[in-house]
Amino acid sequence: MKEKIQKINDYEWSLPKNSRERMNVGAKIIANKKILDSIEDDAVQQLTNVACLPGIVEPVIGLPDMHFGYGLPMGAVSAFDSEKGIISAGLCGFDINCGINSIRTNLTVNEVREKLKELVPALFKAVPCGVGSKGRLRLNYNELDDVMTHGVNWAVENGYGTKEDIKNTEENGCMPNADPSKVSDLAKKRGLPQLGTLGAGNHFLEIQKVSDIYDSNYAKKLGINDQNQVMIMLHCGSRGFGHQIATDYLKIQEKAVKKYNIWLPDRQLACAPVNSKEGQDYYAAMKCAVNYSFTNRLVMTQWIRETFEKVFKKSWEDMDMQTVYGICHNIVKLDKIKGKEYYVHRKGATRAFPDLPVLIAGTMGTASYICKGTETALEKTFGSSCHGSGRAMSRHAALRQFRGEKVSDDLKEKGIVSKASNWKSFAEEAPGCYKDVEEVVDSVHNAGISLKVVRMKPLGVLKG
Amino acid sequence: MEKYKFIEDLTSDVLFEAYGKNLKELFENSAIALSSVICDIKKVGGEKSFDVELKGDSTEELMINWLQEIIALVDTEEMFFSRFNIIKISENYLKANIYGEPISPEKAGIVVKGVTYYKLKLEKIKDVYKATISLDI
Repeated sequence: MKEKIQKINDYEWSLPKNSRERMNVGAKIIANKKILDSIEDDAVQQLTNVACLPGIVEPVIGLPDMHFGYGLPMGAVSAFDSEKGIISAGLCGFDINCGINSIRTNLTVNEVREKLKELVPALFKAVPCGVGSKGRLRLNYNELDDVMTHGVNWAVENGYGTKEDIKNTEENGCMPNADPSKVSDLAKKRGLPQLGTLGAGNHFLEIQKVSDIYDSNYAKKLGINDQNQVMIMLHCGSRGFGHQIATDYLKIQEKAVKKYNIWLPDRQLACAPVNSKEGQDYYAAMKCAVNYSFTNRLVMTQWIRETFEKVFKKSWEDMDMQTVYGICHNIVKLDKIKGKEYYVHRKGATRAFPDLPVLIAGTMGTASYICKGTETALEKTFGSSCHGSGRAMSRHAALRQFRGEKVSDDLKEKGIVSKASNWKSFAEEAPGCYKDVEEVVDSVHNAGISLKVVRMKPLGVLKG
Repeated sequence: MEKYKFIEDLTSDVLFEAYGKNLKELFENSAIALSSVICDIKKVGGEKSFDVELKGDSTEELMINWLQEIIALVDTEEMFFSRFNIIKISENYLKANIYGEPISPEKAGIVVKGVTYYKLKLEKIKDVYKATISLDI
């Protein structure tokens, strides 16, 4: 399929509508040449799968962190007509509102480095990580309903975070019209014990230092002033609650595909017409998971603050531990772009609206970025950018190539203190398993869809 | 006959094949493959058991429901599972006992977010049943 790619410019590549049969629109990939060359042919093929869906709007977008996934690539954006399109549980994926929060501090590298060996284990204790650890909170069903419908407002009312956090979260941390009656009892049962847990896989908590500032005016607005400033990044999602909602609606939409006679190139792309019950019920249930996930990240943010208070013997307010921004990267949203509404599906992709922050996570050994969205993103990518550096190597291959202990030692040599729930986690998430984040960010910056503001490097890493 | 094997196919997720000389074995071995991703299955005991009874419109759906049930029980019961005994199985119904112990960080593997439809296939090749299943990690 890659042989059909045509160059638009050094950072944009098109895959015309006639690249294969049944494509309703063309596809576009945002990447520099080096990244483009590294993208798997099968991943490009998967972009064309999405282009076959009904009501898709030109073009399907592949971002530079894109890699082969189940059904569609991770790092993809697809927008659907708000009347004639579809809403897809498959395109959003299992981890609804997997996302990132960035938190600043006014602490310096030197202050934090000397406490890292105390700080990292203390954080590991405060924030439940991995499939083997139990959550610290046990919600009842009424509280869970409140989390679903009120999102981070529930957190703030219950002493987790402040109104400032709400303001600095995508959607103000709460998508309206979330409907708990559309969520199964099993999803709720899974959600009760897991609020305030990190999960595993590529989810992480990282202590970082600012290494470069590219746009000091914008950085100042985010409260980032100094190259030695310490930052925190938290990456996780809606846990078993969101996984179950996705599972339930995949099954419902699998049946809807037959009912509405939709042709699918891959079963995992299960979907339903936007105005059907199966489409709108999913949308209302998905929002419950989105709000749960926003709340999950804020609850953990507060525990991170409390841990810093214990270690540094100062209040978190005195350490200026404010949320810089919180964003989603697996989500469906009815976005208004250039005056028109679309159901935008971002799968491993971040919103990049003009002048709003974009957070891009690197690996545990490489840099992460804060960028800002642009008008160009609205024109080219339905207001979207990449979400991370993107995997380049399978977990299976990673286990063959890396040993967890060695990965941890390598990080130590770089001055990075790390802790994971098990060694396998380290091996599977070794920095060498991912694309070069510098090339990925170079691609989105030069394509103009999100501009570099701040670069951060890891000091301490916690993996699930 | 091997019970299951992992196939290198997905970049960030997991795909496996499971085998059995009948549906009972196929479903048991698929569950073992799934559980070996979630925990260190060899170290997990079987002191506590749970009854599982499921239906599915097809054998494929029954398999998805079976594996999803185990994933959900890990969360709701906070258990790791090591042994799966299918008592009754037809093409659209199964009854089983599954055995495990409470979750612990020492025996943890990785969170499985869901069973996907990607490449999902149940087939019978000569006398061997084979399932191809992918998991979102």
